[in-house]
Amino acid sequence: MAISVKVIRRPEAARSSYLRAALKGMSLTFRHMVNPRKVTRSYPEEPTELHPRWRGTHRMEVHADGRPKCVACGLCPTVCPANCIRLVGGEDDQGNRYPIVYEIDEFRCIFCGMCQEVCPVEAIHVGQHFENAEYTRERFVYDLDRLMEQEHPVTALWDPSDPASE
Amino acid sequence: MSTVTLTIDGHRVTVPEGTSLLHAAEEIGVEVPHYCYHPALSAPAQCRLCLVDVEGAPKPMPSCVTQAQEGQVVRTDQGLAREMRKGVLEFYLINHPLDCPICDQSGECKLQDYVHSEGRAHGRGVEPKRVFGRDDFGGDVLFYGDRCVMCTRCVRFMEEMAQDPVLTVVERGDRAVIDTFFEQGLKDSSWSGNIVDICPVGALVSKDFLHKARAWDLDHTPSVCPNCSQGCNIDIHTRDNVVHRLKPRENPEVNGHWMCDYGRGRYEWTNRSDRITEPFARGDGGWLAPGWHGALPSLQERLEDCRGPVHAVASAHASNEDLGALRELVERIGGGDIVYRSARASDEVPLPGFPMLARRRDLAPNTRGAELLGMHRVGGDDASGGLDKVAASTGTLIVLGDELADQPEDFGSRAELFVYLGAHPAPAARSAHFVLPVTTFAEQEGTFTNVQTRVQRFEPALRGAGNAQPAWQVLGALTASLAGEPAPASAAESFSRLAARVPEYEDLDYDQLGAQGVPANRPAAIAGER
Repeated sequence: MAISVKVIRRPEAARSSYLRAALKGMSLTFRHMVNPRKVTRSYPEEPTELHPRWRGTHRMEVHADGRPKCVACGLCPTVCPANCIRLVGGEDDQGNRYPIVYEIDEFRCIFCGMCQEVCPVEAIHVGQHFENAEYTRERFVYDLDRLMEQEHPVTALWDPSDPASE
Repeated sequence: MSTVTLTIDGHRVTVPEGTSLLHAAEEIGVEVPHYCYHPALSAPAQCRLCLVDVEGAPKPMPSCVTQAQEGQVVRTDQGLAREMRKGVLEFYLINHPLDCPICDQSGECKLQDYVHSEGRAHGRGVEPKRVFGRDDFGGDVLFYGDRCVMCTRCVRFMEEMAQDPVLTVVERGDRAVIDTFFEQGLKDSSWSGNIVDICPVGALVSKDFLHKARAWDLDHTPSVCPNCSQGCNIDIHTRDNVVHRLKPRENPEVNGHWMCDYGRGRYEWTNRSDRITEPFARGDGGWLAPGWHGALPSLQERLEDCRGPVHAVASAHASNEDLGALRELVERIGGGDIVYRSARASDEVPLPGFPMLARRRDLAPNTRGAELLGMHRVGGDDASGGLDKVAASTGTLIVLGDELADQPEDFGSRAELFVYLGAHPAPAARSAHFVLPVTTFAEQEGTFTNVQTRVQRFEPALRGAGNAQPAWQVLGALTASLAGEPAPASAAESFSRLAARVPEYEDLDYDQLGAQGVPANRPAAIAGER
């Protein structure tokens, strides 16, 4: 096969100049400079507002006497699609069923919120929270004490006064 | 036998005369909800849940006690029958606490099932529910009175099966509750665990299993109870490779629906974590872990060199395949006595209402299997002693499964070759030249031969510990390489070798043993009596 050469002509100056595109881009930049609707936040000094149904890391509700509300019924590990909850039930000294081990692997969790939805005693909740940085991976397996210590607000997956959305 | 033909839910079904409507409905795959009826107990027809609509009958009929009649037209699932059940279920929920989240029966509860499938979606009750709290019935049984549906299955079990009437209904109406006499409890009944099994709701629960696992998390593996030579058919319930409980599996030829508390409570050893996980061989400087590929060939060489007498100690807890492979190996290297030691109770504990079933004297599952392979029982009733001759052996010594708990530290130190195969470390086996890890019955498949000479299969419920292998595989591979033959590849193959050796197993086929086992061929002397 004979070798052929394709000649491509250089585009003319009006098309090859970057000046027009640069000006177009800069005009957008300058427009935003004078735009009163600012979108940049000074995080973390200015906290971010989260959407009401934001689903973040978990929190375990506690009774007034400091016991976890969880009754170790096993529904959350059953419903969890990511299989991130480990639960071992037992009986405390007052004869109540309670979780001896309750661990959530927040790395495995996909934050679907089904654990909160299925909980018959409103114990486990997903939270309005996203600041979870840690130095080790192990710290992302939250045990029962850690879950009970969490203080961030919890997510309202539904209106408590109208749970069936009627 | 004369039969009757009737119509149930539009399907014609022919059943033997005298069949109850409930069983006739089962024939066409319809389960009529019921509480008080249990196939092994009398039917008082008091739960009123199995009411069905029979055409021409003046009122709804309880299907558990109504006999099927020729030409009857029965409706179980629509119209009146369904409305009645819905009403009855609503009555049941008047005082039921609905504490399913903390109830151990949750997931296997008949009240949960029936209400979910055909009960009302919302309760209409406004009055407070009556509260009884819980009561310790003694033994392994805990009673939650609030959850009880008053089916009285437990009362009738203790009366008719255990024939030890220690339970009764006290009070009447909504104050009625199951109780024992004057706080006597179940008086150490040997069969009380069965009332937990037959309780259709969470009123009677096991203390041992309390809050341990949810019913839907448990894997069920058909197996055979390893705690006496009765060989009750059981299901092993496991979760995360841990055995959580044993439940009886129905077998009308062996244990009916029942099992004893002795067998039910002894499963913890299957969860022991002190296991031999690697094959060890004794080297010049101490123990080596050469792996199976290193250990077996060097053991084979040693076996070929040994010329002394052969002694072997087996265990009646090992399967027929394991024992058969041991017998084959011993004969291959020159033959010798195989002895076993097993614990014996002082008496049998029969279930009076089902006399075929008893906690047998032999507290090991396979004593009959060991005997059929020509092994002799030695030692006392507490599975100790009797090994003096073996311990003094100067030839080859093979120990399979016996932990040698009572033996001195220098056991077998005079032997030319001492091989120990076991699941758990045995301190007395420290003189062994080879320590090989084998699986327990819960981790391998195989067969036990029970006291009726019935061969029953069990399935693996757990993963084996580390590199442990079934003993039939280890011993079979050794025999095969000594003989230059292929090793048995499966328990079925190992069993067929056994069947060729033991006349009682001659006609048996491993795959046809099924879930319920098959009686072995009677020895000619016994067969002649029939």
